[in-house]
Amino acid sequence: MSQTLEESLFQRKQVGFLLSPDKSLAEMLQKMWSPEVLEFIVFDKGGKAIEHMFNEPPDLLVVDNRLTDISGREVANLVKSENVYRQLPVVMCVDPVDVETPWNWNKVEVDDFLVRPFNPSEVRDRINLTLCRAMRALDANPLSKLPGNTSIIQKIQQLIDGGDDFALAYCDLDYFKSYNDKYGFSRGDEILMMSARLIVNTIRSYQGVQSFVGHVGGDDFVFILPPDLVEDACQRIIKAFDDIVPHFYDPVDRKAGNITSIDREGNTKVFPLMAISLAVVVNTNKRITHYGEVSSIAMGLKKKAKEDPKSSYVIDQRKA
Amino acid sequence: MAEDLKTSIRGEILQVKDLPTLPHVLQKVSKLVEDPDASTDAIAKVISTDQVLSAKVLKMVNSPIYGFPGRISSIQHALVLLGFNVVRGIIISTSVFDMMVQAMKGLWEHSLGCATACNIIARRAGFEDPEEYAVAGLLHDLGKVVTAVQLPEVHASVLETVKTKDMTYFQAEKDVLGFGHDRINAWLARHWGLPPNIRESMSRHHAPQMAEFYKPMSCVVHIGDFLVRLFEFGNSGDDQTAYLRPEALIELKFKMSDLDKVMDEMSDQLLEVSDLTF
Repeated sequence: MSQTLEESLFQRKQVGFLLSPDKSLAEMLQKMWSPEVLEFIVFDKGGKAIEHMFNEPPDLLVVDNRLTDISGREVANLVKSENVYRQLPVVMCVDPVDVETPWNWNKVEVDDFLVRPFNPSEVRDRINLTLCRAMRALDANPLSKLPGNTSIIQKIQQLIDGGDDFALAYCDLDYFKSYNDKYGFSRGDEILMMSARLIVNTIRSYQGVQSFVGHVGGDDFVFILPPDLVEDACQRIIKAFDDIVPHFYDPVDRKAGNITSIDREGNTKVFPLMAISLAVVVNTNKRITHYGEVSSIAMGLKKKAKEDPKSSYVIDQRKA
Repeated sequence: MAEDLKTSIRGEILQVKDLPTLPHVLQKVSKLVEDPDASTDAIAKVISTDQVLSAKVLKMVNSPIYGFPGRISSIQHALVLLGFNVVRGIIISTSVFDMMVQAMKGLWEHSLGCATACNIIARRAGFEDPEEYAVAGLLHDLGKVVTAVQLPEVHASVLETVKTKDMTYFQAEKDVLGFGHDRINAWLARHWGLPPNIRESMSRHHAPQMAEFYKPMSCVVHIGDFLVRLFEFGNSGDDQTAYLRPEALIELKFKMSDLDKVMDEMSDQLLEVSDLTF
């Protein structure tokens, strides 16, 4: 196939390892994608591949159950038991006889499997799908399922490179930590889930425009909108947040309008109810050339937004 | 909690699945949801006129999927947190029973009137978030809807018993079903994971003095139910005026003059509500 990377499903070249003594399988896979899209490196013995894999992990691992020196399951488990490699998608190749009795997929943590005789177009699309699925899962925040830092950076750079005007808002919660300390992390997570839903739905309600919401981690979120909509969005988010957040406090604290918590030194301290701070960086006329500038401007603004104990937003007014 | 509820006398079963909603409310909401300029407020207002749709929206937002179970009791907040796509999904999947309009039209108006009353009462009593009290008022007779739709014959014999034995609807339910709509409410609310304040006031609106944790809300719904019947707005299935428990007034520190003011406001607002009917 002579498909180019741009035409492919992937943003960059993918490298796959095939661990199999089956020459025809190797040939089939290597022919299916152009090497600039997905290149397969073939190992006929499992043992040889493992050190390679640990030093330079591929984007995909295809393991044949016909391996003679080490079992396919063992290879798969080796990969999945290490958190560093856990995200690496593994596809297992089996013979019909292998799956006559059901496998315990909790013990063999592969992502998909292929059964001989291989149907080439099915193999192609299963592998494409496995790679796409892995890319989606890789960068999602495990709590909110929103895209994480890799996707956020990619998105910002893509907008900068395209020369588009955009506004990026950096959102974080004031007094989240004291809420978490007092009520425990599982109720803290409730707040993060609520904030994520609220931001996403507010941003998605602007239809037909370039928008994006990401979860940096913890109580930090970002969203991107065209500059002319961003102020309205900030106001709506603040209004909704301030309306909803009191419902996540116990009635006594809600009534008092604050919580009493003990800080690290053992002192009793009173904290206000949570608020949301938004720092907005506006990029017009290609003022910004690198995503790093966006985050450093945002961090400066964030301090300003945080000076106000109530929910507030600050918009960067600097012109190009 | 069991999926379904078995009546003790006739042995028939009420089911949680496929609860009905009103077609014209669905149409209105669908239109608004499709309109990019429609505000959440406008959509929330229409959804709040339908018990079943309201209950479904609240059920969804309070389900563990969203990660904050039992926290949200206002339709407005639910819409912000669910997003229009999910609301559209709820609408599509909500099955419509034509008989609902026939059999329960009076009850729908009664519920809507009660919601209005609860909002007014809660504000008068100085409670925060009067909309939540309105939700509780709207849902307070949901159990009756379920019986009417799922066990139409049982429902008919409840109505018959009201007439022949000169009982209240509530007593007649116990006579025929073995339990009242208060228990069906408790069962539904628990099954749907509704917030505890809504749940308790739905199941305690006939006996607010027995409410354990949310007595004020249960009392508001009790008084709201009483007043809307006094106004003869809609029909809850009863012929006679309900009994007003003095404990409810004491709990809210209400005097007769407070009730007068509530009733003044109600007569204005019920006029507006009746426009909503068709």
